[in-house]
Amino acid sequence: MATRTIHRQAFWFLLAGIFILLLSLLAASPVSAVPSAQETEKYCLSCHGDPTLSLALPSGETLSLYISQDDLDHSVHSTVGIECEACHTDIKEYPHPELKYQTARELSRAYYQTCEKCHSVNYEKAQDSMHAKAAEAGNLDAPICTDCHGAHDVRLPDEPRSRISETCRQCHTDIVDTYRQSVHGAALMLEENPDVPVCTDCHGVHNIQDPRTAQFRVAEPELCADCHANEELMSKYGLSADVYSIYKRSWHGVDVSVYKAKWPTIWHDSAVCSDCHGIHDIRSTDDPQSKVNPNNLLATCQQCHPGAGPNWTDAWTGHNEISLERTPFLFYVDRFYKLFVPFVLWGCIIYVVLQIIRATVDRVRRNLP
Amino acid sequence: MSGNVIPPLSSVRHERTFPRFTAAQRWEHALLLLSGFVLLLTGLPQKYRELSISQDLLSTPERVELIRQIHHIAAIVLALEALYHFGRILYLLSKRRLPGDLLPTWQDVRDAGHMLQYLLFLCNDKPKFGRYNFEQKVTYWFVFFGVLIMGVSGFIIWFPVFFTQFLPGGVVPAAKLAHSTEAVVIAIFILVWHVYHVHIERTNLSMFTGRLSEDEMRTFHEKEYERLTAGSVKVKPGAKK
Repeated sequence: MATRTIHRQAFWFLLAGIFILLLSLLAASPVSAVPSAQETEKYCLSCHGDPTLSLALPSGETLSLYISQDDLDHSVHSTVGIECEACHTDIKEYPHPELKYQTARELSRAYYQTCEKCHSVNYEKAQDSMHAKAAEAGNLDAPICTDCHGAHDVRLPDEPRSRISETCRQCHTDIVDTYRQSVHGAALMLEENPDVPVCTDCHGVHNIQDPRTAQFRVAEPELCADCHANEELMSKYGLSADVYSIYKRSWHGVDVSVYKAKWPTIWHDSAVCSDCHGIHDIRSTDDPQSKVNPNNLLATCQQCHPGAGPNWTDAWTGHNEISLERTPFLFYVDRFYKLFVPFVLWGCIIYVVLQIIRATVDRVRRNLP
Repeated sequence: MSGNVIPPLSSVRHERTFPRFTAAQRWEHALLLLSGFVLLLTGLPQKYRELSISQDLLSTPERVELIRQIHHIAAIVLALEALYHFGRILYLLSKRRLPGDLLPTWQDVRDAGHMLQYLLFLCNDKPKFGRYNFEQKVTYWFVFFGVLIMGVSGFIIWFPVFFTQFLPGGVVPAAKLAHSTEAVVIAIFILVWHVYHVHIERTNLSMFTGRLSEDEMRTFHEKEYERLTAGSVKVKPGAKK
């Protein structure tokens, strides 16, 4: 009986002990979690904060292992508590396991894959991009997440907006330099204009596609129309928002829309916006360097219409409605047919209907007794 | 079965006919009809490309190219026909043998007014017409100017670079609009006006047979009939056939 009481007491002690232990865990865990994560960064930087820390790779490259505290302080990750071990999942203790990479690029291409853990949607999109295809084809310099976003210094990509063009310029230097001379690029660089397109507005963000394909070409008018058919946006800059709707009725526009609807993969030469206005070098029509400035227009037309003479440019009605001042021939032909078509149509119908009525009445009368 | 049952030869009715169109004129009409039909058939799908029937016809880029080539060939046929027609007019003019029957006159305006009165039940007799009535003259001149407009505008949009060497550029979009609109106007006109007059009002096949019967001449071209039969009190039956 006595032993049994002792056993019972021991059981209660054990239960209380477990209870207290669980309670303490519950109370202690939120308090200890944050400091421990900050500890990681501090701990790692105790070595990697040394600017001279580096490693010789088998390729002969010297890989700097220095991580700047300043970069981390401005990174979107570090400031919300996402630290070293979130990406460097293979490094858990010191000394580190041996690096198995031959080159610095190989190392980058291995580590960027950890982005997928959190950013799976954009990561997947990037795998469908022109850049990923270039990598598949063997170009290991094709950009990966960290090339555009940074590794330890990941910041908001569009703060400020011109930062996007800076990012693309790392590889596409000539194109971005040309773009910065254009009406769009100049406004971006000078005033951080919020409306002009930056690289990603036309090319897409993560799933950037090859812009040299037939599909991209026939879809281009709609791409430009995203802004240039927007009445509110265009009026802000004194531009016409009808340019797209009038283009769509033009010879070029009809052709292109048919190809877009039916044969988007078949290349077609009928002019799209960029054929006349330029691609990255689009300028205001008033700009003497604009491809569609009246002084340069003929040369632009001659790209597709060789042999066209000086009168030719008047054959282009521009993105304008029919008007007496701009297009007198078209104006009078239009006026004439606006009267002539209903005149012929109703004239014929009324005359023939009257004849049918009269002939029927005559026939009935003749047959009456 | 006996001999006297056979009717006497004189009782066989010989319908007298009058020549209306020469073989050359009928060939011209046939060419116009054929080329015009092909032009319309290959042109309308290009104008109304968004319609599903056009899309079926223009199903591949090669088809579009083919349709355009057929359109151009038919255009050349019609252009040659029109050139022949103008040439013939000029030739007859130079020989002072161009018949003036088709030229519009004030009598046509009076006839049209008279016809309108008849159609509105304001009078009970139809006007008496000569060789060509005002309806037929309207048809001729409508098609005359229609082919001219279609031809000129068509060649301008076919060879715009060439024509703008000496014409102002503004004629190109104007020609495109004219070509596209005039085509529909002609189609409506032929379909409503011409088809009614030659197929529904009465079947007038003189453009194919070349001749009109005495009955038709008397009913529809009374003045011309009177002019042709005046002086010859008795015309030998079947003399013209």
